[in-house]
Amino acid sequence: MSDLGTALAFYPLAALMLVTGLYVFITSSMARAGLLLLAALGVEGLIFLALASEFLGFLQLLMMSGEMVIMVFFMVMFMSDPGGLMGMDMTHEKRRSAGVAIALAAGLALVAVLTDWPARVAGDDAPDVRAIGFEVMGRSMVSFLFAAMTILFAMVGGVMLAKQGGRFGIAAPAGEERGEGD
Amino acid sequence: MVSLEVVLGVAAALFGIGLYGVLGQTNAIMVIMGVELMLGAAMLNVIGFLRYAWPDGSSGGFFVLVLMTLMAVEAAVGFALVISVFRHRRTAEVDDLTDLSG
Repeated sequence: MSDLGTALAFYPLAALMLVTGLYVFITSSMARAGLLLLAALGVEGLIFLALASEFLGFLQLLMMSGEMVIMVFFMVMFMSDPGGLMGMDMTHEKRRSAGVAIALAAGLALVAVLTDWPARVAGDDAPDVRAIGFEVMGRSMVSFLFAAMTILFAMVGGVMLAKQGGRFGIAAPAGEERGEGD
Repeated sequence: MVSLEVVLGVAAALFGIGLYGVLGQTNAIMVIMGVELMLGAAMLNVIGFLRYAWPDGSSGGFFVLVLMTLMAVEAAVGFALVISVFRHRRTAEVDDLTDLSG
């Protein structure tokens, strides 16, 4: 993609990503918030595509679509007002949170602008699937296996945490004490 | 035209939005969503560096893969914790979980 094409794709997509990301925390409907988060991260995948990272862009679209749809289910289950029809406010410290967030974002942007980054000619086709494959199967293999093990441990730990009674089995009914034989 | 500074600036804004969600929301699921946005900003940073600062390297792509793994793990463990807390307290509001506060 040419520089002009990249710019034409990047700026509208970046604006859309930021607006949908912000509306995640503004909308009162939790189902809408989940779908807006899906939109924000999906648009981020499109930005990856615009920046010539095709493999990672499609991977992002694939992973986020699955993850965010699951997240919508959790939100509808755990929100006291999933539809947003009761006008409940589920925020606290709004002004201070916004102040801290704006200050930090401005600081990071300032660092990005003021730092003297190495000037390199932008590649047109960086990085392709082949290069990532060699990286994963080459010197980063141990790290990649570690990531795979982390996912496995997270799955097992998640199930153990979430199952009825947690790690210690099903708790005794309120007011009763369990003996040694239980 | 797009440059590294522009990509990093957009990522900083996305990080700020995520931080606003983490600090300003009372529901644990919404806090997890804020963390997801912050990790998304980190990924955008890596993609920016990969495109404009180190176009012929492939390690950056690997970092994005690790970050995606981190997002999935964070969501899975976060949901499990929320389910566990909800079983005991019948709420997912972080303001109600004050057992460890001084």
